[in-house]
Parts: sequence; structure tokens; C-alpha cells
Amino acid sequence: MMAGNDRTSLEVLDFTARDAAAAPAVKHYGEALVEAARRDPRIVCLTADLTLPTETDLFRDTFPERFHQVGIAEANMVGIAGGLARCGEIPFVHSFCVFATRRCYDQIAMQVAYPRANVKIVGVIPGLTTLLGVSHQAIDDLALMRALPNMTVIEPSGQGDVRAAVAAAAAHEGPVYLRLKRADGSEEPAPATSDFRIGKMQVLRRGADGLLVACGMMVAIALRAAETLAREGVSLTVVDMSTVKPLDPELVALARTVPLVVAAENHSIIGGLGSAVAELLLEEGVDVAFRRVGVGDTFAEGGSTGYLFEKYGLSERAIIDTIKSLRQRRRR
Amino acid sequence: MHDRASGDRQPAPRTTDVEELARIARSLRRDVINLVAPTGQGYVQQGLGAADLFAILYFSELRLDPLDPEWPDRDRFLLSTAHNTAIFYATLAARGLVDREALHSYCGDGSPFEINASERVGTVIEATLGSLGQGLSVGIGMALAARRRRSPARTYVLLGDGELQEGQLWEAALFAGSARLSNLCLIVDDNQMQVEGHIDQVVTVAPIDAKFAAFGWSVETVDGHDISALLAGLERARGRERPTCLVARTLAGKGVPSLEGLLAHNLKLPSPVAAKALSELSQIAGEGPR
Repeated sequence: MMAGNDRTSLEVLDFTARDAAAAPAVKHYGEALVEAARRDPRIVCLTADLTLPTETDLFRDTFPERFHQVGIAEANMVGIAGGLARCGEIPFVHSFCVFATRRCYDQIAMQVAYPRANVKIVGVIPGLTTLLGVSHQAIDDLALMRALPNMTVIEPSGQGDVRAAVAAAAAHEGPVYLRLKRADGSEEPAPATSDFRIGKMQVLRRGADGLLVACGMMVAIALRAAETLAREGVSLTVVDMSTVKPLDPELVALARTVPLVVAAENHSIIGGLGSAVAELLLEEGVDVAFRRVGVGDTFAEGGSTGYLFEKYGLSERAIIDTIKSLRQRRRR
Repeated sequence: MHDRASGDRQPAPRTTDVEELARIARSLRRDVINLVAPTGQGYVQQGLGAADLFAILYFSELRLDPLDPEWPDRDRFLLSTAHNTAIFYATLAARGLVDREALHSYCGDGSPFEINASERVGTVIEATLGSLGQGLSVGIGMALAARRRRSPARTYVLLGDGELQEGQLWEAALFAGSARLSNLCLIVDDNQMQVEGHIDQVVTVAPIDAKFAAFGWSVETVDGHDISALLAGLERARGRERPTCLVARTLAGKGVPSLEGLLAHNLKLPSPVAAKALSELSQIAGEGPR
């Protein structure tokens, strides 16, 4: 029989860190979902055996009649959500990002995206943020979800936007993919207010020498890179592109004011934010140097987030090197 | 939050008259041939085989209101295979749920009446299925929603025996049994046929009844052309505390002797064959009671 304390620490481990100390102190998402569900009685919650890691224990304990545990069966979960939505419910389905998208792609396409079902797909553990290994790493989920017609794709950059993103997703009529990184105690305290709006980028700092477009965890890293470069006399604009689809068209005008654009994401460089930015800017005829920072065309492995982000180029150093190499190229 | 104002609504009249249902099924079989004949090919064999099931579901079992297809407390019907549309559309037209005249565009470019039924037709197609194995999951969602809002609506899912080879179906079966979804009824159109021929030449799914029983369902195996037996099975299903699986043994091409038993997934139906089929159906109708 395990001691109570041990049992607690086992429960709060969330597959992303080796020690319980790094586990989230505040369940930003779980609280936001309960809050949204208090406002809208149509909201129901589905999970596939990952209640604690998706913070839906708060919903389960608050609204047990609106909570559906479907077991380890993501395809079935998404199909059930489609049926619930057709009867007027607003299902939030939960899993790790990789299973919430790749394991049930056809089900999402046919039962959520095509009928514009009012289903919200919520994934945690974005990109390389897990010890568990390649099976649990979502490096293509943004690409998969972005390719589906009618799908809105959101990746907030920090805990401060989670509440607003959940409220916005709930209020949005139609399919949403919400890609979340849970708090792990390493973040700055979340601000009380948020400028998050679906489809609107947030300009976090302005500079004339280049534009950094990032989403999710790469926003904080992009800001650090911009601060470092500012000390070297290179001033960058940094944009939090928390809605990956539809991409804010105002990015075009911003990109026209700078000589170079770098997109950074905790995702494969193929098909995600970088691809979306490239498509938009090229089709609008914006003449800039452009590079993507993200996971190269490769699978990764399990490890601590810091280790993996360094190894696979999701780092301040990688962004700085990319900016510098683009500036070199333009000078030649 | 949920519209309960429809609680007093009454469904359209239904019948349990076996002779009347048999007459409707014969008429639907003629419609199947007439719908498919102009295109020269289609799901003829499945349509003829499932005609009795469709007649019973739409004229006896389902609580529907043709004047208001979106009635919140209506029973839901999902055709998981989605491709068996000749009989599906013929039935919807006969029940007044779609415009019979509009069916002239069946399978034509631009027509909402595609070979695989989609919600482009309207609410009567409750979900766009046809990517096989998904219908039962969607039906579970509908049954859960009805349970939560205490609606009397029941959900019926019709799928093919070949479709049981899809893994998602068994995820759904496991859940429905575990959740004791008594307002859910699955009907397996057990015609022993899939694209490549007889199901046992591909991957055997038998015994279907034992599998569902093991997954926590009430199971009955019935002759899919025995109207009395089907009516009784559906009635028993309504009184149970678990989901029911009716395994309906059907004969591909049923009702047209020259086509009966021919396992053709997508049958070519040149006009001489169609004319012969109609002639055979007329003879049978002439012999049978009206």
C-alpha cells in the first residue's frame, strides 16, 4: 500500500517532467473549462483515460453528468463527440496532442470538420515536450488540423491566454483544435488580463530589422532571442500568432516593413505555422528573406523538454543563428 | 437549455400491420430498381436485401415527423455504410421525408442525392457516414445526449456485416455495452457480402451474436425478411436496460429471383436486367396479398 503522499505525487506527474516539483501548481485549463461550462450548460467533456493529465478532473468533479470517460479509444471518442454535437451539446474532447489528432484523423474530418460540428479538440503535450518518446510527440498535429476545412487551430503562448482561449473556443460556433502546454511551475505568473482573440495576432515588441512569428512555447523563446539580439543592435518585431488557422492577414502588412521573417514553432517545419506564414507571404507577393525554425524533417525521442529543445533546434540559439544567417545572406 | 417544448409532439402514424409492411417493402424494391436503372449500376443487391428492414424502421419503428424533420425528440437513424442509398432514398421519399421528384437527380453531378448519403440532402441524413466503422460512435453520442436531457428519443444504427471488420466499431461496441445505453439499437445487415465477395473469403466476422453478447449487449439473431420477427425483436429492444444488437440475416437481391444470392457489391444493371427485375417484382406482387 502506497503512502498518501507518494500516491499524490504519482497522480500529478504529467509525463513531461521527471520530478513532481515541476508539476502544475495551477490547473489553468481545467479551471477555464469549468468556468466556461458554468456559463454554457451545453458544454460536455470527454476524455480517453487521461483525466488528470488533461486537467479534466475538475470538470468531472463539478459536472459528473456532463463528463464522459470513454476509455482508451480516441476514434470512438471523436465519433461520440460528433453525435453529441448534432444533438446540441458542445463537446470538449481531450487527449495528448498526438492522439487527439493523428489517431482519429478521419473521424475528425468526417464527424467534426466536414459537418462543422461544434466540437473542441483539446490536446496537451505539444511537440517535443515529453519524456515518453516518439509515440507521444505531436510534431504534425498543427499540419493535420490546419489541412482540414472548417477547422480553427489555436496554440496559446502562455497560461495567461488559456482562459481567454477556452472561452473563445467555447463561444466560437464550429470545430476548434486547441493545442495546450500545461503550466509546469517554470513560467512567469500568468497576467490577469489577456488580449487573446481568435484570428488576431499579438505584437509583443517592435523592431525594424526583422519579424519573428511564433506560436505556443516558442513565443517566450523568440522574445528571449529578440532581447539578446537587441543588445547586439538588431531590433526585431515579435508576433504571438496564437491562431495558426485562420492566419491573421494583418501579418502581410507587418512583413512588408521588415527585410526578413522567421517563423518558430514547437512542431515540424513542414505544414505548421512556418508553412502557413510562407504560403501567405509568398502569395501576397511580400519580398522578404524567410526561414522556419522548428523540428526538422525528422522524428525525435523522449527526453526532458530543455534537452530536446536544444537538440532539435527549438532554442534561442537556433533563432539567433537563423536571423544572423539571413542577415548575412542579404548582405552578400 | 434543451428544447423540451416538443414533449407533447406526436410522431407520424406508424403501422405494425405485417401485410401492409410487406406491401411497402415490395414497393420499395421496385423503387430501388427504378432509381438505379438510369445510371446502369449501383447498390442494387444490398437495397433489395435491406428493403424489409427499411420498411419496418421507417413505417413502424422510428418516431418521426415528416412535417418537421428537426423535431428534437425524434428517433435517430444512422446508415453507417452510407452507400446503400437506393433503398434509403426510396424509403425517405415513400415516408415523405424527401421529395420524390428530387430523386430524379440521384447520382447525377450536382445532386445532393449522392451514392454515399451525405447531409447535403438535409437533416434526414443525421450524419455523413460511409467512412466505414463510424456510425455506431456517432449513434452513441446521440444516445448519450438523449439520456442527459431525458428525451425519449432512441437511436438506431444500421451497418453491414463487412463493416464489423473496422476496429472503431469494436471500441464503440465496448463503450455502449459498458455504458448500458438502453436507448441504442444496432441492426447488423448480415448479408455476408463485401466488396471482394463472400465475407468468409475475406475475414470472417462470425459469430456476430456471441461477440456482441460478450461486449455487454442484448443480442437477437433474426431472419431479416421475417417482418413479424423483426417487429418483435425491435419491441423487445425497447424494453431492455442494455443496448440491443439485432443481427438480421438478409439475402442479397431478395425479391428478385434472378438476382437472389448474387454477391455483387456494386451491381451493373443494364436496362434489360432492370426490366427483367421489375417484371419479376410485378409477378411476385401480383401473387401476394394486397
